Amino acid sequence: MEFKGTSNYFLDPELADIVNIAIVMEKPLIVTGEAGTGKTQLAFEIAKGLDMGIEVARCKSTMKGEELCYVQDTVLRLNDSRFGSGDTGRKIDNFYDYVIWGPIGRAFRADKKVVLLLDEIDKTDSDIQDNLLDVLDETEFTIREVNDTIKAKNKPITIITSNAKRELSDPFLRRCYCHFIAFPTPDYMKEIVKLHFPDPDEKLLDTALNIFYELRKNKKFEKPPATGELLNWFDAMQRSGINPSKLSMTNIPYMGTLLKRTGDLLRYR
Amino acid sequence: MFTNFFYLLREYNVPVSLQHVIEFYEGLEKGLAPDMNKLFTFTRLTFVKKVEHADAFERAFAYYFYGIEFPSEFSGRSDLSIMETKQFKEWLKHQIKRGDLPRNCQLSMPSEELIRKFWETLLEQTEEHHGGWHWIGTGGFSPYGHSGFSERGIRVYGKSKNRSAIKVIGERRYINYASSSNLRADNIRQAFEPLKHIVPEGPKTSLNIDETIYHTARNGGEIELIFEQELRDKINVALFLDNGGWSMDPYVDLVGLLFSKAKDRFKDLKTFYFHNCIYDKIFTDPERKNSYSTSKFLEADLETRVLIVGDATMAPEELLDKHGSIEYIPDVENSRRLYVNIDRNGAPGQVWLKLIRQRFKYSAWLNPIPKNYWDETHGSETIRIIRDIFHMEDLTLNGIKNTVEYLNAQKT
Repeated sequence: MEFKGTSNYFLDPELADIVNIAIVMEKPLIVTGEAGTGKTQLAFEIAKGLDMGIEVARCKSTMKGEELCYVQDTVLRLNDSRFGSGDTGRKIDNFYDYVIWGPIGRAFRADKKVVLLLDEIDKTDSDIQDNLLDVLDETEFTIREVNDTIKAKNKPITIITSNAKRELSDPFLRRCYCHFIAFPTPDYMKEIVKLHFPDPDEKLLDTALNIFYELRKNKKFEKPPATGELLNWFDAMQRSGINPSKLSMTNIPYMGTLLKRTGDLLRYR
Repeated sequence: MFTNFFYLLREYNVPVSLQHVIEFYEGLEKGLAPDMNKLFTFTRLTFVKKVEHADAFERAFAYYFYGIEFPSEFSGRSDLSIMETKQFKEWLKHQIKRGDLPRNCQLSMPSEELIRKFWETLLEQTEEHHGGWHWIGTGGFSPYGHSGFSERGIRVYGKSKNRSAIKVIGERRYINYASSSNLRADNIRQAFEPLKHIVPEGPKTSLNIDETIYHTARNGGEIELIFEQELRDKINVALFLDNGGWSMDPYVDLVGLLFSKAKDRFKDLKTFYFHNCIYDKIFTDPERKNSYSTSKFLEADLETRVLIVGDATMAPEELLDKHGSIEYIPDVENSRRLYVNIDRNGAPGQVWLKLIRQRFKYSAWLNPIPKNYWDETHGSETIRIIRDIFHMEDLTLNGIKNTVEYLNAQKT
């Protein structure tokens, strides 16, 4: 099993090595990095490249962690106990009729190995990360209410993304592999653009990239333009047939596609 | 095998645990490091868990496996200090001897230019020789020799589609994230993280199941849902920026940006500006035209977190003498009204600083001048006086972290 990327995702060879090392060592891989570096995309591409299913957990600050494994639908059970479950087939004394599996639960119970994506883990509190850690490390969790242990049939390939909004706890980091995706270099960026626009106007692309990196370098933007912005901007320019020779730092059409904040637009001017 | 390398990592302040060492050997057995570049990637994954350590790791790796000693700091103007390193000096001497640079180049060429050339040469050298920086440092070879090359099972010049490890290292991709690194746009996110800990956050709950069941039972089975409200403490922050001197220029925008990003975490964020020292007036705009009375500020909530960002470098009389401000004459009447004990002839700056310190226990000073220069820089005298008043940290990632820790420790 070796991940080699897919046709519409530009994979840095270093990152490919890293993913494969993580697969061999069966360790969760944390990817951090600026928005637009393809962190979340990576998990989907691994699933696609290795022909696997994927379970996605999008983390929220309100999460307690357990619901990523399972939730007991207490309200439904209360309701059934009061008003009867009717012909739904649920039995009020059967606990598992009221369990809703979360992404981790589904990944562990799956018959085939899947990719498990924990997206933006940094949004959760650190004690929750620690709880999750034990679950991921042992690849098992306990259903508290009935004291049953759910053990993974196949260890999932776990990809965790973080925007570094909050620092992850040390024990969590210790048990994972961590990779910090640096912002793509202009050469790599060109490859990325070409994946989205197979036949770009080369001259326009070169000029656009120059301006793009110049913008990122020079100005102290609150939200510097990233890959997504570059793609939108380039798309707009290509569609309207902008003449590359007229493009310069002082003449940037469709500025709104690159800079989204009022403050940043003012700073540019 | 590689044992010395683990100790070297620790010398470079990369934490190494036994667990990771074992993992490392497991990986080797599984054939994860068939060549130097993969070894580099695999070793980094195993040992580097925080981006702050990435640069130190890469330097240690370069030293151990290639015999190249990268200096720990390299960046824009604040790091002209690199010119004082042994490596740089030897390089310069060599360049002059070879006639590549004029004899008086240190005077005739801008420092940035020299440093750029230095790095260019270094990168060239590492590419050409795969591990011999012949005229720099300890004769070019680490005391470990090229142990990396002779370790069993590792091909040094193995073909790989990757860029070579040493070239990757040479790019110093992570230097801006090193914790000793100054605040700049690249690492603003990292700096943002500890800031959030200024704010204690309440627990978040919605439906209280236990209470719901209890009340439902009491209700004779009639369901009663009990919801709990989440509690969230919010805190006021007052930020004082010294935007008067050149030394502050690169930081004013950044610090402002940093805090504006954190804004939604605070109940209120007020930014004030001053020049060198705080007197009876502070200013709400960067141009320092709209003044605000410092006495009025002193009436703010006791819990307010006060952060002063400035180089604390000024003429001593600005801090110690009456009418010390270099910009305006302090308003005598105003300062007198609230604090009768203050000399009616305009209080010296340090009196105002002390008043702020006395009023707000959650206050600290952040200085863009790196800590190890505080005793030597030309402002060392005023820095020393201000340090007696405020807890001072430097404006690095570590400094910001320490400041937040310090502020949180003030809770009683």
